[in-house]
Amino acid sequence: MIPNQTPTTFIMLTIGALTFIFIMFLPALLELKKPKDAGPRLIMKDVPIMRSKMREAILITNMEEEQKSDQTLIRKIADVIAVLPNLEV
Amino acid sequence: MIAYLIRHYIFTLIVLKNAQKQKTTALLENSQYQPTVSILIPARNEERVIGRLLQRMTELTYPKEKLQIIVIDDASTDETREIAEQYSKTHSCIEIIHRSEKEGGHGKASALNAGSKHANSEIIFCFDADYHPQGDILEKLTEVFANPKVGVVQGRITVLNEPQNIVTRLVALERIGGYRIDQQAREDLGLIPQFGGTVGGIRRSLLERLGGWDESILAEDTELTFRVYLAGFRVGYIYDAECYEEAVESWRAYWKQRYRWAKGHMQCAFKHSLRVLKSKNLRLREKIDGLLLLNVYFMPVLVLCSWIIGIPLFFLKSSQLLSILWASIPISLYSFVGNFAPFFEVGIGAYLDGRNRAQWLIPLLIFTFLYNILICTKALADLTISKILRRNTNHWTKTVHSGNGNSYIIN
Repeated sequence: MIPNQTPTTFIMLTIGALTFIFIMFLPALLELKKPKDAGPRLIMKDVPIMRSKMREAILITNMEEEQKSDQTLIRKIADVIAVLPNLEV
Repeated sequence: MIAYLIRHYIFTLIVLKNAQKQKTTALLENSQYQPTVSILIPARNEERVIGRLLQRMTELTYPKEKLQIIVIDDASTDETREIAEQYSKTHSCIEIIHRSEKEGGHGKASALNAGSKHANSEIIFCFDADYHPQGDILEKLTEVFANPKVGVVQGRITVLNEPQNIVTRLVALERIGGYRIDQQAREDLGLIPQFGGTVGGIRRSLLERLGGWDESILAEDTELTFRVYLAGFRVGYIYDAECYEEAVESWRAYWKQRYRWAKGHMQCAFKHSLRVLKSKNLRLREKIDGLLLLNVYFMPVLVLCSWIIGIPLFFLKSSQLLSILWASIPISLYSFVGNFAPFFEVGIGAYLDGRNRAQWLIPLLIFTFLYNILICTKALADLTISKILRRNTNHWTKTVHSGNGNSYIIN
């Protein structure tokens, strides 16, 4: 199929094929590494959906809120314990 | 293979051409046809998602007096039953059917048949337990039943947990190709839009006439689609009646789901191909589209065969006669572009959805295509063996839903 097949031709073809494959997948790799797509598609007006760009920020906010509520709970428990009589003899 | 390639390009170009017109049509049609509706929700061990769907069902804007929601607890061993019962106590439109260990676990078709016996409305809808529909989805879907020729309606499915990982992102792209382009083009061209077994409905009278869902076929939705067409009715596709689904999250789950689809589709092809050809209720273009749709899962197997034949011939420096067969290589490679429509079709679908960045992932669909080659080959091999041995190997492998989609809905 390939006229005058030599090792150089073979190497050039292999490099060409690999370069082509790399270029073909490069955008996909970039998008996977650092997603900028805003999916999933918004289909509803009444229910907000967390999209990927906002997702991380919202998750952090939620975690902070959870931590705050945990701290409040710990403080309440500590207050209750402080009121209790000392059981140590 | 070339037929599929041409079909995908025609479909894509038609949808692209009609994109602007669709918006206008959807706004103009505003009928007030609101029949009574029964919604069937088959659920087997769906404790992680059933609450989300039932909550959403209570928020639907469709008149509650016309609504009957039937949860079919298909012998669940988790908390599905308890969660559904809680909703049933507080909402009179929600009913629960419990199936015993002996009755349940025989697949979705079996559960739907059990549920449909309790349905008393004009239209029966089906929703999978992991779904999350638009609030006004029933208004959009029921409208088309004003046309007596429409027997079934199908809405659009969108992936909710898309950003989760590479599998969900690729499944989302496949869904865009399937629902934004394939189904829409079939609707526009008057071909055969497919009933997907969920986010869709059927006239109860028609379902009873057809004898319910076929429990011997793994793709009960495709099978029903063809019986509906053979009976002289059609399926309407409403692209803006949308519903979220929780996509499979791992390659293993992807395999199980697609294997079931492939095997079920092949069963349908064996059952209906000749009937479609002979039918007097179908026009020529519907017959062509019907045959292409029925046989689509054989294509990856054909591609594999052409590689197996073509690649050795390429390296063997064979005779002039054999060299003609070299053509199988470019044909099979070319068919990449057509089969499963991953590239051009998905690209245009993503563009129409305004998802330009998602298009960057399209080259990765080549891996799902290669994976589908293995899946379809295994499905065909298993089906052939079961036919030869006359054994029923229809084991329904349920897709497990993790409930991770819940984290994408902001309460």
